[in-house]
Amino acid sequence: MPSDDRKRRFELLALPHLDATYNLARWLAGNAAEAEDLVQETYLRAYRYFDSYEGGDLRVWLLTILRNNFSTWARQNRGGRMTYVGELPQEDLDAPHVPLWSSPGRDPEALLQRSDDAERLNALMERLLPEHRTVLLLREVEELSYQEIATVTGVAIGTVMSRLARARAALRRHWFDAEARERADGV
Amino acid sequence: MGCEQARASLPLLLDRELSLWRRWRLRRHLAACPSCAAELEKQQAMQAAFREQISYHRAPPALAARIVADLPRETVPPTVRPWFRLPAITLGGSGLAGALAGAALVLLIYRAPSDQGSLSVIQAVIDSHIASLMADHLTDVQTSNQHTVKPWLSAHVDVSPPVRDLAAEGFPLIGGRVDYIDGHPAAAVVYRHDKHVINLFAWASPGQANAPPHGEERQGFNVVTWREAGITYFAVSDVEADQLARFAQLVRQGSA
Repeated sequence: MPSDDRKRRFELLALPHLDATYNLARWLAGNAAEAEDLVQETYLRAYRYFDSYEGGDLRVWLLTILRNNFSTWARQNRGGRMTYVGELPQEDLDAPHVPLWSSPGRDPEALLQRSDDAERLNALMERLLPEHRTVLLLREVEELSYQEIATVTGVAIGTVMSRLARARAALRRHWFDAEARERADGV
Repeated sequence: MGCEQARASLPLLLDRELSLWRRWRLRRHLAACPSCAAELEKQQAMQAAFREQISYHRAPPALAARIVADLPRETVPPTVRPWFRLPAITLGGSGLAGALAGAALVLLIYRAPSDQGSLSVIQAVIDSHIASLMADHLTDVQTSNQHTVKPWLSAHVDVSPPVRDLAAEGFPLIGGRVDYIDGHPAAAVVYRHDKHVINLFAWASPGQANAPPHGEERQGFNVVTWREAGITYFAVSDVEADQLARFAQLVRQGSA
């Protein structure tokens, strides 16, 4: 029974990447229930198109599908609980007026009052634009190459690099340097 | 290389995206420029701090089972169906040669749950099986030496399952692992069939009657369970049903 073999093969190859897929989904969706739905849909779609998978890193392929699912999902949910800013035109990326924060309702400076570094970092991450959050996670947690990140996010390598730079600059300003500043100020 | 170019290259060094030649040129600059070297150190420190402190959300254990259950299956009806009764299986009929791909089998040895064959226990066993394949935690003690695995398991779980290398029969022993089924510690003996992992779980069921082997297919995995001499066994696998039956038969012979 060829399709049963196909299913087993898919499970053995794809399930080991469940944590990686879920982690990104959880960071993008912002809550567990929707992250689970996103992941489930991703695996279902991956299984449907498994025949078109042409080798290479299956994790990258799964993350690519997830990212596409998320974009669709975010478009449908626009105006809801979460503000998805969407793809920024590349020429705007380095413009100073482009907001780094997806939820303008909360002042990032308020985060500085939190005492715990990890807690502050994770709260700050939630305020980053999804595309900035995504490149950071793909690079620092999944340790993908620029080329792989470009594949997953569907943008040019140059865009990957500028997003990464902007995301890191935000982290440095609002988390890393702020920490050092607080310690120096004895806050 | 000047400072400006060096600064632009620092993230690429951090991200392992620099060619050998550019790396060498950057290193040469850094050796001579304390200010750029300090900047690199700062970026490295932030990268390390980020990796250490960012939350990693692991998939809930039930999600894998949910995904597997929801995958469409074209050839097999989604209902639970018993596929064999062990006593009816004759040994030696199915060649040992590695013609079979896709064999992952789990035999569980753990304590307590008396409801052998109940849906929740089977589900827990399958979940553990999937988790062992996913989590890169197949074995706690990795050796093909049965005289190592058995005492190790005896020291860690309060039941002593039979451990026998079945390499000659096509099921080489890989190692052992302590697992948890329904919150109870369990011993898992790990085998391999061709390129596929086999986990065998068992647990103590003191005072409970023997039960003959019973096989089922669920979620694309085959499960065989039986109870013998106060130990409940679960073999979970994606091997073909007749191979799993043969494996169970071999284990039973070994414990007899």
